[in-house]
Amino acid sequence: MKSRFWSLTTILIFLIFFFFMILPVLNLFTGSFQTQEKGAFTLQNYLSFFHYPSYWRSLWNSILIGLISAAGAMIVGVPMGYMVSRWNVMGKSLIVTLSTLPLMLPTFIAAFAWVILLGRGGIITKFLQTWGIHIGSIYGYPGMILVFVSQLYSYVFLMTLSGFSAVDESIEEAGCSLGSSQLRTFWTVSLPLVLPTILSGAILTFMSAIENFGVPMIIAQQTPNLVVKAYIEFTSEVGTHPGMAYTLSIFLILITMASLVAQRYYLSKRNFIQAARGKPKVKQLTPGKRLLASGIIYAFLIFTLIPFFVALVLSFMEMRGPVFYPRFSLQSYVYAFSRSARPIFNSYFLATISTLVAVLIGVPTGYILTRRKSAYSNALDIVIMLPFVIAGTILGIALITFFNQGWIVLTGTWVILVLSYVIRKMPFIARSSASILYQLDPSLDEASISLGVSPMKTFYKVTFRLMMGGVVSGAILSWVTIISELSSTLVLRSPSWSTMTVEMYQGVVSDDLGKAAAFSSIMIISTVIPLLLATKYFSKDKGGGILL
Amino acid sequence: MSIQIVNVTKKFGNLEAVKDVTLEVKTGEFFTLLGPSGCGKTTLLRSIAGFNQPEKGEIYFNKKRVDKIATHKRGIGMVFQNYAVFPHLNVFNNVAYGLKARNFSADEIRPKVSRALQMVRLAGMEDRFPNQLSGGQLQRVAIARALVIEPQVLLMDEPLSNLDAKLRVEMRSEIRELQQSMKITTLYVTHDQEEALSISDRIAVMNHGVVEQMGEPWEIYNTPVNRFVAGFIGTTNFFEGTLISEQGGQGIVQVSEIKMKVSAHSPCVGEKVSFAIRPEAFKVAQEITEAERSCFLSLPGRVNKVEYLGFMTKYDLELCRGLSVKVVSYDVLPQHLRKTGETIELCYDPQRVLIC
Ligand SMILES: Nc1ncnc2c1ncn2[C@@H]1O[C@H](COP(=O)(O)OP(=O)(O)OP(=O)(O)O)[C@@H](O)[C@H]1O
Ligand SMILES: [Mg+2]
Repeated sequence: MKSRFWSLTTILIFLIFFFFMILPVLNLFTGSFQTQEKGAFTLQNYLSFFHYPSYWRSLWNSILIGLISAAGAMIVGVPMGYMVSRWNVMGKSLIVTLSTLPLMLPTFIAAFAWVILLGRGGIITKFLQTWGIHIGSIYGYPGMILVFVSQLYSYVFLMTLSGFSAVDESIEEAGCSLGSSQLRTFWTVSLPLVLPTILSGAILTFMSAIENFGVPMIIAQQTPNLVVKAYIEFTSEVGTHPGMAYTLSIFLILITMASLVAQRYYLSKRNFIQAARGKPKVKQLTPGKRLLASGIIYAFLIFTLIPFFVALVLSFMEMRGPVFYPRFSLQSYVYAFSRSARPIFNSYFLATISTLVAVLIGVPTGYILTRRKSAYSNALDIVIMLPFVIAGTILGIALITFFNQGWIVLTGTWVILVLSYVIRKMPFIARSSASILYQLDPSLDEASISLGVSPMKTFYKVTFRLMMGGVVSGAILSWVTIISELSSTLVLRSPSWSTMTVEMYQGVVSDDLGKAAAFSSIMIISTVIPLLLATKYFSKDKGGGILL
Repeated sequence: MSIQIVNVTKKFGNLEAVKDVTLEVKTGEFFTLLGPSGCGKTTLLRSIAGFNQPEKGEIYFNKKRVDKIATHKRGIGMVFQNYAVFPHLNVFNNVAYGLKARNFSADEIRPKVSRALQMVRLAGMEDRFPNQLSGGQLQRVAIARALVIEPQVLLMDEPLSNLDAKLRVEMRSEIRELQQSMKITTLYVTHDQEEALSISDRIAVMNHGVVEQMGEPWEIYNTPVNRFVAGFIGTTNFFEGTLISEQGGQGIVQVSEIKMKVSAHSPCVGEKVSFAIRPEAFKVAQEITEAERSCFLSLPGRVNKVEYLGFMTKYDLELCRGLSVKVVSYDVLPQHLRKTGETIELCYDPQRVLIC
């Protein structure tokens, strides 16, 4: 009976993913080989892709920007991770909290704010011009790399931090005792041990950067990447080429899939870090050096958070179109709440429903992955990894195409938005549930059953209770990231189902800075407050489990 | 309540973790499953608890067949190796957990929990959470939690293996006392032979999924039925040789270069004999009386190693080239202590030879 319950649940989860993700994506794949009118087989899309520079350059742009951003994240994140783990810098837990913020806050707000500061006619640009200094253009590569490195470096930083904190001190001592200098020991022992972990973080940065939609949309301009190009081909008013959009999507999926495979199967097998018995020694710096090291770290943290301060400050200024006046005003908020109350409601409504559904499916999935191991659970493990390799925009295009006609028509409804959010967030909930369950001793369940409590009740009274803290913080993180989701929303929304992110985005493209700033601020606040609540439930390792 | 296990076989894939085991635990008995790691003790215990389903055989509690009944309806109490104390509940609620499942009222629960905590000497700790308790205290909570529901059968899987040596010895006598005072049928699993000998009414020695021998501790120790049991319980010296003469139930065996006396049912002259003698069955030097010296065969042994432990002394003695024995001698006076390289006289009562 109980095993049948879990088999049915497994089948149900498979069906959900098969029907709402795999089929739509396969449909993209076949669509990329079909002519637009008749649906006959053609290679035209692929031929065009390699023929027209504007297409293949977008692939090149995606890869190059991803690689440069990952390298940049390593340049910043590795030394910072090393310093925080091995030196006595000040306020380590504050550093960790501040470093996770940029990952949670919407990246396109950062892009927007940097344009306000450094764009054509930006505040800093103009200020420097009055002194005769001309900075180069922020649009294109420089801006994207600036935003990606400053918002995504934490993947590398947090991985490096946990890596260096987990190297057993005795291993390093063994290196030194064999006559190796400390510096040599670092290069020959510590770094090789931690390198796979660092590279995992870099791959996460790479994937986030190339799947990102909002940042290039705001800042890329002449150098669009695959995601932007696919979106434009799909929605352009001049004449859409869905077949080309599908083809571009397939290229993007191929890259992300290759990265994920590299991360899961290559790097994770080379993960030598074991639970440290001896905690690594923390070097006691002289007061002066300590202050210097801490100062550098905090300066960088503040730098990464500048865009969000800027957005907050701007939202309280008086605005006329693209021009703002340094006077306090609530005008932007009044405008936002009076004219666009519906998108605010929509965002909260969609995020809440989607989170609940994601938890409802994700927690049992986590349970199946850890406690009901079988060939099916292994397959499930792979299936729920797929959303990681499908950028939001691509999933949006896939869903809207697939559910546009046929027996279920969802295009234009709120259900399709919820669907895309659930598909994208449920794997996070499942992963974090699984990581909590791994740490829970199965004999706790058995103890409860042996005391006369049925297996079903045991799940509720023991397993679920013990998982709750982790599940709640996982749910909050999902909620927060749905609130700031732009990529699939922009594809899937309909006029009555616009969201805050869409409004904010439209404010940016229509030069209505007041609107953009007000919605940015509401989003920042909607993100930060739940995160503060979540930290109450957080323990360090749970946070890591959810993040990755 | 008695437990009958009849021809139980449990397989994991091709591996028979438990092979055709039949045994009975009598009402109120303290019965121990003893055996090396991986011999199937846990598997058998979990079959009785209902956490796994045997492929063959039947399990009865008091003649009532239970192997198809779900675990939570079997009325067992179980103590786990790693305590399995619920981390989200305090001591009181951990112990009350099973009572609540049985729908006792709050007024009934409180005195029962108090009594159980008193029994395991944890009174006053009701409000503590598991992370505020030591390993020994956690183990007591686990025991109180299993006992408070007054189970008909108590199952314990290496409940002391996570404790340090001293606490282990203390706790095992406490467990024994509790079991005696409650007269509860107990099935206990351990791979520690000393623990098994000290607390059990009866022991089943298992190896490779099979019960090799069942009996009271003294039977297991003194009359092991085969070489495995003799070797697994305590330390033993094994000998192999050829019977060269037999007379009135006493035989002489040629072992390597020396002759040794054995008693009783030995095979025919000229056949191979293997036998075992426990280290404490040997007497050395001054302990040997004149009568013994004349009646038993005494042997010279060269001291290879001495381990002086105060109340006892362990010797490694070489009887001849390639044949050494372990001997223990209790309460050795300083003037009788021998050093490495010296020779010492030893002898043994042939009655204490174990033919195997
Ligand atoms: N769930 C399982 N799946 C496959 N094989 C198992 C499983 N549980 C136990 N085994 C195997 O069955 C055999 C008996 O295991 P069991 O746990 O009963 O040993 P044990 O006597 O309790 O050992 P220990 O003293 O180490 O606890 C072992 O070879 C073990 O590898
Ligand atoms: Mg075991």
